[in-house]
Amino acid sequence: MYLKIIRNDIRKSRLITTTITAFILVAAMLTALAASLTVNLFGAIDNMLLSAKSVHFMQMHTGDVDMEQLQSFAQTNDSVKEYQVLEFLNIEGADIVIGDDSLAGSIQDNGLCVQSKKFDFLLNLNGEVIQPADGEIYVPLYYMQEGNAALGDTVTIHGVSFTVAGFLRDSVMNAALVSSKRFLVSQGDFERVREHGQLEYLIEFRLAEDVSFPAFEAAYLAAELPANGPPAITYTQVKMINGITDGIMIAVLMLVSLLVIIVAFLCIRFTLLAKIEEDYKEIGVLKAVGIRVSQMKKLYLAKYGAISGVACGLGFLTSLPLQRPFLQNIRLYMGESGSALPGLLWGLLGAILICGIILLYVNGVLGRFRKISAAQAVRYGAPQEKSKSSKIFRLSNNRLFSRNIFLGIKDVLSRKKLYVTMLMVLIISSFLMIVPQNISSTIADDSFITYMGMGICDVNIGVMRSQVEDVAGKAAEVSDVLAEDENVETYVFFTGMMLDRKADDKTIEKFRVTLGDYSVFPITYFKGRAPQTKSEIALSVLNAEDLEKNVGDEIILIVDGAEKHLTVCGIYSDVTNGGRTAQATFSVNSGDVLSVSMAATFRDRQNVGTAISQYRKQFPFAKVTGIDESTQQMLGSIRDAIQMASIVAVLSSALLTLLVTVLFIKMLVARDRYPIAILKAMGFSDADIRRQYLTRSITVLAMGVILGTILANTLGELAGMAIVSSFGAATFDFVVNPWLVYLVSPLLIAGCVVIATMLGISGIQTLKILDHIKEA
Amino acid sequence: MSNIITGKNIVKIFGKGNEQAKALNKVNVEIAKGEFVAVMGPSGSGKSTLLFALSGMDEITSGMVKFGDTELSKLGENALADVRRTKMGFVFQQPTMLRNLNLLDNIILPSAQKGKKDTAKLAQKAKELMNKAGIAGLENRDTTEVSGGQLQRAGICRALMNEPEILFADEPTGALNSKSAEEIMELLVDINKEGTAILLVTHDTKVAAMADRVLFTKDGNIASELTLQKFNGRDRKARCETVLAGMAAVGI
Repeated sequence: MYLKIIRNDIRKSRLITTTITAFILVAAMLTALAASLTVNLFGAIDNMLLSAKSVHFMQMHTGDVDMEQLQSFAQTNDSVKEYQVLEFLNIEGADIVIGDDSLAGSIQDNGLCVQSKKFDFLLNLNGEVIQPADGEIYVPLYYMQEGNAALGDTVTIHGVSFTVAGFLRDSVMNAALVSSKRFLVSQGDFERVREHGQLEYLIEFRLAEDVSFPAFEAAYLAAELPANGPPAITYTQVKMINGITDGIMIAVLMLVSLLVIIVAFLCIRFTLLAKIEEDYKEIGVLKAVGIRVSQMKKLYLAKYGAISGVACGLGFLTSLPLQRPFLQNIRLYMGESGSALPGLLWGLLGAILICGIILLYVNGVLGRFRKISAAQAVRYGAPQEKSKSSKIFRLSNNRLFSRNIFLGIKDVLSRKKLYVTMLMVLIISSFLMIVPQNISSTIADDSFITYMGMGICDVNIGVMRSQVEDVAGKAAEVSDVLAEDENVETYVFFTGMMLDRKADDKTIEKFRVTLGDYSVFPITYFKGRAPQTKSEIALSVLNAEDLEKNVGDEIILIVDGAEKHLTVCGIYSDVTNGGRTAQATFSVNSGDVLSVSMAATFRDRQNVGTAISQYRKQFPFAKVTGIDESTQQMLGSIRDAIQMASIVAVLSSALLTLLVTVLFIKMLVARDRYPIAILKAMGFSDADIRRQYLTRSITVLAMGVILGTILANTLGELAGMAIVSSFGAATFDFVVNPWLVYLVSPLLIAGCVVIATMLGISGIQTLKILDHIKEA
Repeated sequence: MSNIITGKNIVKIFGKGNEQAKALNKVNVEIAKGEFVAVMGPSGSGKSTLLFALSGMDEITSGMVKFGDTELSKLGENALADVRRTKMGFVFQQPTMLRNLNLLDNIILPSAQKGKKDTAKLAQKAKELMNKAGIAGLENRDTTEVSGGQLQRAGICRALMNEPEILFADEPTGALNSKSAEEIMELLVDINKEGTAILLVTHDTKVAAMADRVLFTKDGNIASELTLQKFNGRDRKARCETVLAGMAAVGI
């Protein structure tokens, strides 16, 4: 019997059943996809880290390594299972020529290395440890994806030629976010090139199980082992960095899935509410004759069970072919995850979960059955929604609106529960339309880099100790040129120093500080402001977290042999130098200078690129980066992706608004057949009734758009913050494009609602008074 | 006296193909201005269909219906709606009210054209009508807070708001007890005395006996008709007997 009732019911309401099925299908598909991808991603990462025998702790170091000291540390520390020191021959991007192009514009630190003997193996795309022959070079996957290199290309480094024999997976430096990249060559070739590069060491450890990585890092630094390089990387970070790109994609899939589920819920809610209202009298009669609520619920549950069962099954099946393109990136960078079965199982579980959630929700909505009074239902045949505001708003007191507009607004006021559904959809649509646009315009804005620890200048010239012996001398050389160059408008120095810091427990730790004038190219601070006096210091977010310092706290540094007490005046987000930086303005006479960087702006705005390439030639020892180049390399793909996402979001919310409003209005008209017939009998024309429905839609639309816009700029900013902070900016204010947000988006939604309402009420014309007036 | 409604050769067919049913079969009707006409007949004889056809609320399959000199089938949707709103009034068997408006708002609804029109005047007029109909003081009640009889009277007040030339009533007392039915009929007789024509469909001989003329329908036709003296509140019994005799004559 159930089957027959379900079939009849579905036949009667094909459009809404199809729509709900489609929403559930998409939600189930996305959830199954996200679940399956998550399992595959973690499986693949684990597999790769296992095949590569990845590092548990790695410190890059420039300068000599005291092997004996390292050995004694390894022997005395129980945590160390294995250790090794690998050579990394840093080569200037400009000196690596692939085909006809060099890597001069690359912001990556590129270097050559040979295959490791013990662990941290570099793998080929089949997950095997590569053993390159002489004359062969294996290029990081990153460059294959960026389109810099193809199989068989010739790579020339200082006159030594190699053939690209393949691409490599590097468990530590795979991700674009990691700023160093390893090229693999044979030992013989490495020796031939050795003199042309700057040698760095990768000091690597494999640790015993259950060792705390932070504790080991502390022990390493305390033993004063070599650490002249970027901060150490631990296994946890390696895992995270490898997962982040695909992780964000999975998070987006889950977010979209969540929104689709919410929309499916809304559709189900108003369909059920409408159905309950339609069957109100019958439900009352059934209750009156003693049918149990649970028995009545069963009918509806059976229908939605059938719909969501079919939709979730189809959703899961649809997710299967879709996995291929989504898995492509994971497979390429990390390889296979092993067995495909767990992925499939989790996908299926995801789809079943959606089915379960839908049924729980339907059960919840059907709880209304209990509230229906049999006597009321039989007598009035419709639920009585009482509201004060509706009572006050009377036609006999109305001086403002025409009667059609009055009736439209009155209906919204007296059936708030019903219209809440449409309101929610409009709020979600406005939110979905505006938030991605705001994120997109924020990231695309020039000032965005100031949220990431970079000031707005044209060029950054870095002289680093890892590349140059005499940092101070070379920096002075650059400085002289800048001072004399008439094209240079402003320039400012930043000196990166390694100083000692007296920790709260009185121990001395190493601490990087960059000294300079931060008022020239200001950045945006998460908390507080830039250092202005010599007794102030600003910390990067990561540093502040590590040191557990906040604005107003004190930091003690050892400067020129004496303790210097500094007050933390600001905290900022930073993506440079591993995110652990500090800014101060005081001067130091002695100390360990790590780098000097100079930021400058040019007078000739047209030829900034030419000026940069000229400096690049002039200062071969320095790293010359145009700010546009580095933001493009750092944020370019994210900007494009977000822009694409925001366009997709605008289109989907427009479509969502259109679809859901058409359905809603169609159902409303179906329910309102009787009052429409009354109005028609009283001499209201179709145009009058259309105006009433448009008024209802526009009333809800206005509320929806206003609330949606407010939410998008408050709650949405928080959500946007969560997304953008994953790119490295801990805080930011939305850069709002007012035309788009306050004019184009609301107009687009309004247009969709008006069109949808017109489509939804097209049935009014054919509605016969006689057919419905007798229903009462 | 000129006719307010003229129907000629009205045919109304429901359904299609083999399931066709002829509800009205070449019916001719004339209703004079200010006349009170009742239509009686067994269920399915076409009396309500005739009322809806003559009021332009339902399209006819063939034939012609004129309101005064205007042929209804030639009017566009908007013009027809205007005629219904300004020249006609309707009372249905079940009180047809909008649930989200109170009684007063329901009554003034057809006349409240634009917000600029003085709604206070309309409300005043509605209150006078309510007073006359015996439902004074119920203005702010919801439709669920009054009895069926009170609701029906409110429906009549609404139908009278625009001072219609004719009132169509489809079994207006059908859902009421005898006391309420009596009161409603007295109200209709009063309205008719003031010059409003009435076309009323009923099963009740007591109701039909108050009309000036009774049409008896059978199988989609007007089988016969009976003309009575203008009702003056007396001779009820005799009038009822005449109507009953008329019914017996056509076998209904």
